[in-house]
Amino acid sequence: MTMPKSTTLWRRVERILPSVVKPGRYVGGELNQTVKPWESVQTHVALVFPDIYDLGQSNLGIALLYDILNQRDDVAAERAFSPWTDMEQAMRKADIPLFSLENKRPLADFDIIGVSLPYETLYTNFINILDLAQIPIYSKARNKNHPLVIAGGQAAYNPEPVAPFVDAFVIGEGEEVILDIVNVHQAWQQSSKDRQDLLAHLAEVPGIYVPSFYSVNYHGDGTVESVTPTHPSASFPVDKRLMTKLPLPLTHFLVPNIEVVQERVSVEIMRGCTRGCRFCHAGMVNRPSRERPVDEILATLKTGLDQTGYEEVSLLSLSSSDYTNIIPLIEGLREMLVERQVNITLPSLRIESFTEDLMAVLQSLSPGGGFTLAPEAGTERLRNIINKPLSDEELMETVRSIYQHGWNSIKLYFMIGHPQETLEDVDAIAELCKAVLQEGRNIVGSRARVHAGISTFIPKPHTPFQWAPFDDLESNEQKIALLHEGMRGAKIKMTWNDPTASLLEAWLSRGDRRMAEVIYHAWKNGARFDAWSDKFNLEYWKTAFEQTGIDPDFYSHRPRNLDETLPWDHINTGVRKAYLLRDYEWSQEGKVRPDCRGQCYSCGILSTFNELRLLAPDGGWKCP
Amino acid sequence: MEVSLMSEQEQITRIRVQYTKGPSLRFTGHLDLQRLWERLLRRSALPVRYSRGFHPRARLNLASALPLGFVSEAELLDFWMDEPLPVDEINNRLSATAPPGMTIKSVRFVDLQEDALQSQMTASEFEVSFFDPQEKEALQKKVRILLAEDKVLRTRRKKIYDLRPLILALQAVTLADGEVGLQMRLSAEPGATGRPDEVLNALDYQATDYLVQRTRLILSDE
Repeated sequence: MTMPKSTTLWRRVERILPSVVKPGRYVGGELNQTVKPWESVQTHVALVFPDIYDLGQSNLGIALLYDILNQRDDVAAERAFSPWTDMEQAMRKADIPLFSLENKRPLADFDIIGVSLPYETLYTNFINILDLAQIPIYSKARNKNHPLVIAGGQAAYNPEPVAPFVDAFVIGEGEEVILDIVNVHQAWQQSSKDRQDLLAHLAEVPGIYVPSFYSVNYHGDGTVESVTPTHPSASFPVDKRLMTKLPLPLTHFLVPNIEVVQERVSVEIMRGCTRGCRFCHAGMVNRPSRERPVDEILATLKTGLDQTGYEEVSLLSLSSSDYTNIIPLIEGLREMLVERQVNITLPSLRIESFTEDLMAVLQSLSPGGGFTLAPEAGTERLRNIINKPLSDEELMETVRSIYQHGWNSIKLYFMIGHPQETLEDVDAIAELCKAVLQEGRNIVGSRARVHAGISTFIPKPHTPFQWAPFDDLESNEQKIALLHEGMRGAKIKMTWNDPTASLLEAWLSRGDRRMAEVIYHAWKNGARFDAWSDKFNLEYWKTAFEQTGIDPDFYSHRPRNLDETLPWDHINTGVRKAYLLRDYEWSQEGKVRPDCRGQCYSCGILSTFNELRLLAPDGGWKCP
Repeated sequence: MEVSLMSEQEQITRIRVQYTKGPSLRFTGHLDLQRLWERLLRRSALPVRYSRGFHPRARLNLASALPLGFVSEAELLDFWMDEPLPVDEINNRLSATAPPGMTIKSVRFVDLQEDALQSQMTASEFEVSFFDPQEKEALQKKVRILLAEDKVLRTRRKKIYDLRPLILALQAVTLADGEVGLQMRLSAEPGATGRPDEVLNALDYQATDYLVQRTRLILSDE
């Protein structure tokens, strides 16, 4: 036998692999991966998901961009993920830089590094990746020999906390703009000017935000006075990039050789949401609502199953039961699923848009198991405030129907810490859970189960609640204790998330540019994998705030002034600030904003993207 | 009813596949390999025989677990089909959808009555190459000393056992690339399976020093 005659880097990696946990994370070589000879392409893009392979490989966004880029003959897209802590240690000890899974090349050899930032608790992993790749962490320290570092994803709608680390952000939907970036990069390479020229050309691309082309000024009290463009190419505000029509779905799925978090064929059936829940970041920033045709979904699932051999399919959207043709879709799927003995998951079903018909088809496809509903709040009053209106009777009717259709177990999601929440609202969560369990017992007897999942509300940028403060930890603990008390003896399983983890998310999602120093110091202090409950350590962050002299409460617990310039105001999601403010005021009056498919409330999407709307196919946008 | 059942039985075929497990599959463990094969069989769209019940699974039988990190030239697997097809077609359909690192080397029919593959196993052969160059004489000397022992007591999963009788053959060799390595044949009887990493550890090597390739599985009828 001969040793693989590969790069010396890879030979060094192979030596450390037997000493780490789950080394299959670091070798690539999966079915349907794309490996192009390194010299055969002009542009090399490393797509990075800043968590371990097991999680990142299941990310549909990365998979889509990988496929789009690799369809071009002149581009190679490769993948890289965060090494787990043992591998990081082994790599640092052996001075092995972070490498791609395809050609096993150091990330520093790539032209472009594209980082996915779907949530804020990946930020320390992101800069750790730059450090492991031996690329300067701060954008200003990079020169033309370093890769261009771009970032995008849902968290990038407030890019400021990571602005100093990123050369250019993609704001909005990435499927088209990623190719624009490659084109700009190729043209720049030909003219071989300096890095500033590259950034200037990128800043001219719609949906690209180059943070170094803006200066931020602060008032004496620490609030933002203004964000000002300092470069002629910098637009103000920066409009998000929007696809007028959903691009063709991914059919080219990689099949990992080791177990990962999600192993299934996923297809996005709808993007955006018309409901307008006031806490929901995704529902605000992903407008307008666009649906994928049924036949396209069916064809995708068929190809995906043929290519992967997976045993499960998943239909993704923010609100599956709002998909217009949900019944024809599920009916169309039935034959395929039964014939292939494939399971289906259909997350995000809304209680009020749930019909008996849908329940019947679902039960016929996946009998048994659990059913998940998300009332989010315990009382009708509070559900009106958060704009997820639902009467207790409607909820109980749905619950009854679920048990009657043969499910035994119901999971209910709630958030605590909503604006204007009282202890009565919290107590009502326990009462509601008990009522649901009782309903279940009446129908299916002792088999009935209720599971309450409790999370903490975080006021997110670009939502009507962006001005609201984050509940303080004492209050949070009191509410969780109250829930425990309320559910005592009721045989209800209750799980809740660590409020300090939500606190971190509140700091990071609501931060301005100064937060970058805190992130940097927390990383220096040892913060990694903040999204992992067994790795997250609040002390790293507390110390970082002390080191930088920044007051954490200023970001999390301070109600923002309604006339304040918010750190993310120069990023335009299409939804107007005045609209969000009006909605915030409505919430304080307990006034509900109905689903906007029936009536347009001029959130700003249509006026911002009027030209795109004209190009959309009939009925493609759910705006009236 | 009886008659149709009989004819269905007659249609069932048992297929034995010999395949390789290359570098990109080195760290795919036994359970993951089982799932990998289930998916490969689904993709092949062969008339694979499934278990009955709520979650039907392809009936398949892997000969012998390969320790994590090893590659192999000669793994064996049996699966069953509900109706016969020419071996060439089976081979083609498996090859077309095998993941990188896996080559289908041969496909043949075997008797339905044969014992399970695992219980037919008698021995495995391995080849070891080292990251750092080895001196052949010195290596051979270490091997001689080990083989001269009456007993080589080792502890694995808190149990003490004697490795020596499990080593059927062991020698230093010059490998195809000119480097010095090892060849060994170890017992693979049910309940008496020798592990190359244990032999290498007895020779004072650590997992980060070498790569192991399984070169042959020996069944009782061979």
